Amino acid sequence: MNRVFLIAIFSFLLLLPISHASEVTSLESDGDVGYRQVGLMWSTDIPSEEGTIFEVWISNETIIEISNATKHSLVRVGNVSNLLQPGIGEWYDDCQYSIGDENWNPVYRELDGTAVIPPGAIGVNCTLSGISSGLEIHIAVLSINPSGGSILSSSISSSSTSSDEEIIVIETSPYIFAIGSIALSIFILLFVLRWMDYREGRTTSRFAHLYIAPAILALSVLTFYPVLYGIWLSFTNADQSHLGDQSIIGFDNFITVISTSGFLRVTGFTLVWSVVNVVAHIGFGLLLAIALNSNDLRGRSAYRTALLLPWAIPSYISVLVWRGLYEPTGALNDFLGTDLNLLADPNGAKIVVILVNIWLGIPFMMMSISGALQALPKDMYEAAEVDGISNFSRFRYLTLPNLKSALVPLSLLGFIWTFNMFNVIYLMTDGGPNLDFDGPGSTDILITYVYDVAFRDGAYGVAAAWSVVIFLMLVVFSWTYMKKTNATEAVT
Amino acid sequence: MIRRIFFSLLVISILLFPGCLASNQSLEVEDNESTIELVVWHSFAAESKEQATFESKIDQFMASNPSVEVKISAIPYTEADNQFMVAAQGGEAPDVVRLSNDQLGKIGHVRVGGQPLLEDLRAHLTPIERSKFDPRALNAMRYEGDLLGIPASQDCLSLLFNPVLFDAAGVDYPDENWTLDDMLLAASTLTSGDVSGLALPVKDPYWWFGFQAGFGGSLFDQNGTPSLNSNGSSDSMDWILDLELEHEIVQTGTNKESMKNQFLSSKVAMIIDGPWNWATYEAGRIPLKQSVLPIVTDSGERISPLVTFKGWSVSKQSLNKEWSTKLALYLSSSDVQKEFAIETYTMPTTIDLYDNPDISENIVLSGFLEQLMEGTPAPTTRGMSLVYAPMGTAFENVYTGALNSSEALLLANESLQSELEGN
Repeated sequence: MNRVFLIAIFSFLLLLPISHASEVTSLESDGDVGYRQVGLMWSTDIPSEEGTIFEVWISNETIIEISNATKHSLVRVGNVSNLLQPGIGEWYDDCQYSIGDENWNPVYRELDGTAVIPPGAIGVNCTLSGISSGLEIHIAVLSINPSGGSILSSSISSSSTSSDEEIIVIETSPYIFAIGSIALSIFILLFVLRWMDYREGRTTSRFAHLYIAPAILALSVLTFYPVLYGIWLSFTNADQSHLGDQSIIGFDNFITVISTSGFLRVTGFTLVWSVVNVVAHIGFGLLLAIALNSNDLRGRSAYRTALLLPWAIPSYISVLVWRGLYEPTGALNDFLGTDLNLLADPNGAKIVVILVNIWLGIPFMMMSISGALQALPKDMYEAAEVDGISNFSRFRYLTLPNLKSALVPLSLLGFIWTFNMFNVIYLMTDGGPNLDFDGPGSTDILITYVYDVAFRDGAYGVAAAWSVVIFLMLVVFSWTYMKKTNATEAVT
Repeated sequence: MIRRIFFSLLVISILLFPGCLASNQSLEVEDNESTIELVVWHSFAAESKEQATFESKIDQFMASNPSVEVKISAIPYTEADNQFMVAAQGGEAPDVVRLSNDQLGKIGHVRVGGQPLLEDLRAHLTPIERSKFDPRALNAMRYEGDLLGIPASQDCLSLLFNPVLFDAAGVDYPDENWTLDDMLLAASTLTSGDVSGLALPVKDPYWWFGFQAGFGGSLFDQNGTPSLNSNGSSDSMDWILDLELEHEIVQTGTNKESMKNQFLSSKVAMIIDGPWNWATYEAGRIPLKQSVLPIVTDSGERISPLVTFKGWSVSKQSLNKEWSTKLALYLSSSDVQKEFAIETYTMPTTIDLYDNPDISENIVLSGFLEQLMEGTPAPTTRGMSLVYAPMGTAFENVYTGALNSSEALLLANESLQSELEGN
């Protein structure tokens, strides 16, 4: 009988741990594991049984019951086969378990992210995230056994003591560069002016430079600094991932520019675009100005107003209207009864963007030439009429030479503006259709391609190098043009 | 004597008056100091229902958190990543910004002074807070392990159709058993006069991604290496371009806008579009229905549109990261997502809303949710953010006849690889 009793007691003791829920007996926290994080380690009195759930609860006050606390996370004890086991740092938060052999293994994860540990685990070490920094919190672990019974551990207090990383300090070198280049520009300009005064013997007006100082300052800030900064940027590796810590890389960006697939193509189209547009602007502008200048023309004001409309309407509106007209479902196809898709064809798109820009540019040239025409002496034409000179000869030998002083600077300005005309191409075709995988689109000109390089590719240094190349092209062209046409002599 | 007293009082008053002012001012300063100011950039369309809903939710947040003042600014969705990067590089980033997961892929690798631009939110969210979101959506907000946003919505393309035009032509409505051949046949039958059977921007890579997956192609392999030049990819590219070039059931040059306009004017029977335009079509009083995209006849796979996720990210430069995260969590919460879903057909990302009767019993929302489950989540990688440019060029080349699809895709793949390798 005694033997039976002893066996029964022994069996009961052996079975007791199975029916008893694992109770959290030890709870430790570490507030220095990271910003908004607290480390929490707990161990259980007996190895965890499958089906047990450990819930971590947090509160601003000591946790006696969970009704005054917020559930933070949970760890389930269960079968871990076929579950993910992300390594430390791979999951949203880190959690490890131990089966008592002093080795800590990452917990397994269900598809919804729930942490799972295998039966038999005796310790859990988790990093609790989402904890307010610097505030004291209380933490307790609730063990829920498979049959639904639960035991709440004692509550411990902790706080996340790690502070946030320092906020990014923006590199100040561009600002120092800005101030330096502005000061340098002012100094050089004043020096040059002073030297010119000295050379020409102007030594009495000592305050003259003071009077022009505001203009010099404005020029330095608005013109010289951006140009100098652009040139400096073109020698750096500044891009989306290097802005602020860029370094000088010599002429690498210029080599990239020249070796870009399509460099010659885009430069060639930019020249075609500029020349065709300027010739058409000046040609049609001159024709219309002469027509409007005719004394025989009735309703001149009405024509002038009508011809000025393209200039009066904001260009982006008129360009978008033109784009709509050229689209396959647009008015052009409706009118012609065709199914043309000009904007999708490389050559068609080039013709279309040039036509639209010609339409946009004529009014300005017409008005400028019209003003110059009205300033020509009338008696000259009266004398020619008396001499029986034909209309064409009057235009060829009187009008044209006398308009040279207006046409040369107008064409030069027109060329520079058209060379850098961004919005027509950007709004009409966005440079497309793009048939070149690593280069500019079919209708890209240099300035629209620079935009892509800078703001789509984020290669600021390379874009600056492109800008410097454009600047040099325009300087060379303007210089040569002025020399060849004696533009300055004509003006003076 | 009285005059002297009066003047004395006047002088004392004048002397004290600035003191009173100073006292008020200092109170104001204290008030200002206790107010937390958060700047939020959103990308909802101007004067849209989304914007109105968003603004009302911001007002509610401020009402329940009187110490927080939220200043909102609208930025264009397509420029959100660039504008944020430029602002962050100038030290002027907003506290919270709405970004999509492919935009996160672009911003994720950017560093200013060696630091990322967006806060890793893993340390800010508790596991219980995280568990409320669809794991697929939450995972889409991760870039190289970092959690760069809290998912607030998801969307993808689906098949929308005008039942009146179907009835008029005596064609059965699309259903879940439809194959591409069925769609092609129906579209051909429905194409008549000035009505087209189908409209979609055939050259837009975003529209193509779903077809590519259905034909057995993929954008990237398991290692994230570009895999654009597979047979499935070229077959799908030819198939989608032929809709316009060969079958002529899609109008020449159809783009996103013209597709929308054709549908709004009942000039097209079917379009492939997302839930974001549903409210516009409803407002245009267009009879419309939705169905999941068809099955590719040869592969037996369903067209699997790219699923993109949008969420709220916190700037690394934010001085109030805890409050910024609270706001991001609030804007992504079930309550806010539910209102967005019902008001604007924005697809939710919280698990509880999938089974919520207000969502599951709404024919539009449940239809798009069904489509979402058939979709392929867009990977949040730099490669994904860069794939659009070479694919756009590939489409232009095939469309204009300069290259065939295999050649174009091979070049696109090489270009993307080269870009990823930094050449």
